[in-house]
Amino acid sequence: MVNIKLENISKSFNKQTALDNISLEIKDKEYFIILGPTGVGKTTLLKIIAGLIKPDSGFVFYDEKDMTKKSPGERNLGFMFENYALFPHMNIYDNIAYSARVHAHDPVKTHSVVEQILLMTLLTGRNEALPEEMSGGMKQRVALCRALLNLEQTKLLILDEPLKALDAGLRMSLRNELLQMAKSKLLELTVIHVTNEEEEAMFLADRIAIINHGKLIQIGTPYEIYYQPKTLFIANFMSEINYFEGICVKNEKVPWDIYKKSKYGDKFFAKIQKYSMPLPIDIGLNNIFASYTQKELYDEINHGDEVMLVIRANHMKLRLGNRINEKHNAIIGKIKRRKYMGMFYRFEVIININDQDKLLVATIPSTSKIHDTFVEGVEVTIYFPKELGIIFRHPGEDAIRDVLKLE
Amino acid sequence: MPAIELKNITKTFEEGKVLAVDDISLKINEGDYIFLLGPSGCGKTTTLRMIAGLEIPTQGRVFIDDKDIEGIPPEDRDMGFIFQQFEIFENMTIWQNVTFGLEMRGYPDNYIINKAEETLKLVGLLEYADNYPNIFGEPGLQKLGIARAIAAGAKILIMDEPLGSLDPKVSKVFRHEFRNLIKDLRLTAIQVTHNQEQAMAVADKIIVMRAGKILQMGTPYELYENPQSIFVANFLGETNFLQGFVLKLFEEEKMEVWIRLGGPRIICNNPNNKFKLDDNIIIGFRFEDVYIFPKDFNFDKSPHDWSHIQIFSAKLESSKFIGATKRFYLSLESGDKFISIKPGNFEENYQIGDELIIGIHRGDVHVFESPKDFLHEISLM
Repeated sequence: MVNIKLENISKSFNKQTALDNISLEIKDKEYFIILGPTGVGKTTLLKIIAGLIKPDSGFVFYDEKDMTKKSPGERNLGFMFENYALFPHMNIYDNIAYSARVHAHDPVKTHSVVEQILLMTLLTGRNEALPEEMSGGMKQRVALCRALLNLEQTKLLILDEPLKALDAGLRMSLRNELLQMAKSKLLELTVIHVTNEEEEAMFLADRIAIINHGKLIQIGTPYEIYYQPKTLFIANFMSEINYFEGICVKNEKVPWDIYKKSKYGDKFFAKIQKYSMPLPIDIGLNNIFASYTQKELYDEINHGDEVMLVIRANHMKLRLGNRINEKHNAIIGKIKRRKYMGMFYRFEVIININDQDKLLVATIPSTSKIHDTFVEGVEVTIYFPKELGIIFRHPGEDAIRDVLKLE
Repeated sequence: MPAIELKNITKTFEEGKVLAVDDISLKINEGDYIFLLGPSGCGKTTTLRMIAGLEIPTQGRVFIDDKDIEGIPPEDRDMGFIFQQFEIFENMTIWQNVTFGLEMRGYPDNYIINKAEETLKLVGLLEYADNYPNIFGEPGLQKLGIARAIAAGAKILIMDEPLGSLDPKVSKVFRHEFRNLIKDLRLTAIQVTHNQEQAMAVADKIIVMRAGKILQMGTPYELYENPQSIFVANFLGETNFLQGFVLKLFEEEKMEVWIRLGGPRIICNNPNNKFKLDDNIIIGFRFEDVYIFPKDFNFDKSPHDWSHIQIFSAKLESSKFIGATKRFYLSLESGDKFISIKPGNFEENYQIGDELIIGIHRGDVHVFESPKDFLHEISLM
């Protein structure tokens, strides 16, 4: 049983701020993911939790006990880092049993636990293999086994990009196994796992903490992070997005009946937030789009404020020809490029808005109908349901460029 | 005219003890963006290196524009190389990085100026010409790499995981821009990767390799819709596999298969009447091809045409929201498990333990011969 609490953690290296006043709580038996791009302080935070680095200020509590100054050994946790650090001269069994022996556990018990963990990780029968004879996937499993064996009472497992070095296909199957193991009745682990892959985070996490430039930006369930991102950075990090800039026209009559909630919207928002309000946005040329937004944000934004409407590429939909109707936010465009991606087609659609060409991206589940009819050059209506737009206060051109630029 | 052709290429290392590439033949058309795809050690990188001239085939011949290029060194093959580590000169400006190679080759000044201006404009970097490469992240550097290659006259790009060191998020966005650039420049490109999702997203054609051989070659659409082996079905996309046997044969190349241990009976296509009565088979169907209906769903009253759907019942074990998609974990009475994927905002009110109706279209069921070692076929290690 372990509850971890971080209070006001800050850390600098050579006067460069690595972590800036981070507070968060990790619950017992939670699969907790720390997510963010490379080099933003994720691993530093993980090392502070594990006791490998001391923070400049702030506290680390394990079950209310102040562990800030305690060494990793006193924290009773299991580690696994990206490079497996296996002993090259030891076979699988010895690599796994090593730390248990060093810590002078009961040999009989050690044996039975090792056997059990080998069984769970599909390594039984390969006990004799040396690291040089193992594939990346096997090494990863052995490293994981070894980490698991270190867990005696706390059952806290710390993983730093554990799947990064693996082939994509293997990564998928291992992350499945990892989750099953963490949630198995035998182990019931608390896991803190650092990654820069949003898909891995969404798949594994009970909750996700998003870190950028040393700051904690948002913490929440995958559902909250995906549908209610707090910043443009997060919205963009979780999937490919489109955006419109516009002016809020809260107090004006809008040309269509957007104030009436659709049945679909009601159901959808019941899951994440009880109160959500439709907010109309003038994006120019008599185009008024609308989206539902959380009550707090609705109250904060006034008529005439500059806002930004973000729509995930996978929430965009296409219909052939001019099919504008008032149920959805819709605009007419032309398919510029189309690429089949397996489960999805990715479309780049050119629209003309305020006399400028703008490229929108839509990813649509593939069907044979799409294959035959939605071809390059065709006129389409690109639209999205009002429930699925995400509204932000306009963060300024510089902030947009900062988040979305690729050069 | 194929831009590149490989005829019966074999490559061994260590005096024939290690067979890296095993008698492969292939053609690559001009202007195609090709991916060599496969797990580690499948021979894809060795194949790429033989095309580039960095490795000499033990047997077989490589043709570029119908010319046998044996003995022609890499630098004279009209190829540009784009690797994960950028061969960029940090102490030169973007402009100098492009002109340097041309000066080395002794072109006249006005040719060099025109060429550098033209290529930097093509890749969208002209405005940065006087800057040093350190202003760029990796996407900018990769564009610079392409600019240098085409300025030097390359018509074929040879690329080894060029986006491999990018942050996954950046790579997922940039790869489309990268592809568009290569297509707009009408280059022929060959890229090596082990990332099948990347290959599906970017390639015109994919060559799937395993253990030195080509398993299947085709457009992403062909490979995904019609995988010829369990390995390809499993490697590209996510597929449910169930074991069964042929129960009945029908006319028009159709048959009924029975999933083992009293599972459902499913009608599927039997192209060329390949399978015979009682044959042991594996059926494969994509996660996203599994439809889910509530137990009391009335197919006759539905606005959609469900006449070709086959239905059976299954129990909902759990479900998982992962953003763009939502997964439903299902089980048959026999204990066999399978997965259905729906869009992330798919509306449903299913509870764990619910009996649901499962639907699969006949055309979405792929049938394979039962292999000796099924686990080996789907193992990616």
